[in-house]
Amino acid sequence: MLDAASNIPYPSWLNPADNTWQIVAATLVGLMSLPGIAVLYGGLVRKKWIVNTMMMTFSAFSLTLLVWMLWGYNMAFGPLAHFGPTGSFWSGFVGHFTPLATASSEQGQAVSGANTLIPFHFSTATLAYFQFVFAAITPILFLGALVGRIKFKAWLLIVPLWITLVYCVNAALLWGGGFFAQKGAVDYSGGYVIHLSAGVAAFVGAWIVGPRRWQDRENAFPSNLMMVAVGAGILWLGWNGFNGGDPFYAGADMASAVLNTNVATAAGLLTWMFWDMFLSRQKKPTFLGAINGMICGLVAITPSAGWVNGVGAILVGLIASTVVWFAWTYLSRCRPFSKVDDALGVVYTHGFAGLTGGLLVGLLADPAMTEYGVKGAHYKGIGAFFVRGWFFGHSLHQLWEQFLAAAWIICWTAVGTFLIFHFVKFVLGGLRESEETLREGDIAIHEEEAFPEPTFGEPVLTPSHTHPDNV
Amino acid sequence: MKLVTAVVKPFKLDEVKVAVKAVGVTGLTVGQVRGFGHTGGHIEIYRGKEYEFDFVDKIQIEVIVTDEMVEEVIDAIVAAARTDTVGDGIAWVTDVEHVIRIRTNERGPKAL
Repeated sequence: MLDAASNIPYPSWLNPADNTWQIVAATLVGLMSLPGIAVLYGGLVRKKWIVNTMMMTFSAFSLTLLVWMLWGYNMAFGPLAHFGPTGSFWSGFVGHFTPLATASSEQGQAVSGANTLIPFHFSTATLAYFQFVFAAITPILFLGALVGRIKFKAWLLIVPLWITLVYCVNAALLWGGGFFAQKGAVDYSGGYVIHLSAGVAAFVGAWIVGPRRWQDRENAFPSNLMMVAVGAGILWLGWNGFNGGDPFYAGADMASAVLNTNVATAAGLLTWMFWDMFLSRQKKPTFLGAINGMICGLVAITPSAGWVNGVGAILVGLIASTVVWFAWTYLSRCRPFSKVDDALGVVYTHGFAGLTGGLLVGLLADPAMTEYGVKGAHYKGIGAFFVRGWFFGHSLHQLWEQFLAAAWIICWTAVGTFLIFHFVKFVLGGLRESEETLREGDIAIHEEEAFPEPTFGEPVLTPSHTHPDNV
Repeated sequence: MKLVTAVVKPFKLDEVKVAVKAVGVTGLTVGQVRGFGHTGGHIEIYRGKEYEFDFVDKIQIEVIVTDEMVEEVIDAIVAAARTDTVGDGIAWVTDVEHVIRIRTNERGPKAL
């Protein structure tokens, strides 16, 4: 048995532990969308919008995967297209518009600008799938701002366009070895590329689509808090793959990223709960408030998970949850936030939390927290990677780089989302379901409802049942 | 015969059941209902926003009794369902013309 196992023909570059962890991590992240967000958002919307919300989640996941295979992966993570001279912005803008569909491109060793320090120990299929689940969750996150009025067909067009024009560009610039990566801005697992971007798209998208019916806003109580608990729990633990997968190796840095993620999340949850208990008008600890705080912690630790120490992780959760609590409670009453109907508050829990976390990297990153090696045991003499925040280096350089990258993400996402939504509005003649459809909800759009209630009793035979055609 | 209908707080159902059985009632029907009285509805908070729920959950109890038993049953229900706070509900009595036991087709008080 031992002989047989050791004779499995792994390519020399493949490490089965790394390959296994990467696929497990990817699956955990995939579970955050399906069913995580599907039931979290399904539980937060009115009963009449559950099916529509879940359907848009599942279809976005599927659409993104096809886009990813046909051109998305190579645009975001393939070799850069070099539209300008080496080192310039346009040189590090985006990759090539080519598919990932041949045997060799799936089974060969993963190569990407995403990591130039150490060669990957797994195949391109592993990296492509891992990066896909991150791409997929991004439009699914900003779906939360649009539910309850966006036209289903519009969503089917928005997702592929947005992945291509917004996500792939941002990912290439920060992760694919593009311009901001070369400048030194860092984003551990997507505080910017995913969460800040999703928050901005949520706000711009909700503004263009317009508010829900006022009757739906007044009666916007959630359909099922137990399903919110299921979705939120899957999000939290799924995040072990989200942040634990991003070192790309099953090493000590992976484990510390996972631990830090959970620490920041616990701090974020409790912080929101305490603000609710002592500062909210009703002075009540609410479950949905705690879940908001939990998401703030998860989102805010995402840009820094492996680069801050335990104290840093607690501070990230505490600060981000506090910032978002005050934004949620007070900023939401000010223009322009009071004028835009972001149905589930995505701009707060993802946009503000992602921005806060991304900037905190510039303050809290501890250079003793090393990635790709520990002190004295580096890969073939290559020094371990680390980030130095202001508190550890008396230099604001990292904070400045983080700020520039954030400014880019906000501007590009806002402009891209604006253009895509208006294009789809033009093509379909509108972004909203009809007023009659909005009154009825799920049944009008899908002929389904989340909790079907057929008539009581058992059917009885009627003449049509006894007709020869029906027997 | 009379039909006694009472709309009470949901957590009082078991006490009312025990009380009316003790005075000789042999059967009753309950249903989950919603409504409002002088108290109005109540407030629930979701994600920092307050929502007014106009209709409050109640239990409606229906029991058919002979004319002689009516006062005794009403007293039992009032004693059992009362909490001395707002929202205790109301009860009312209506005339019943006929009662029929379906299995035996018996009529009148012996059908109870």
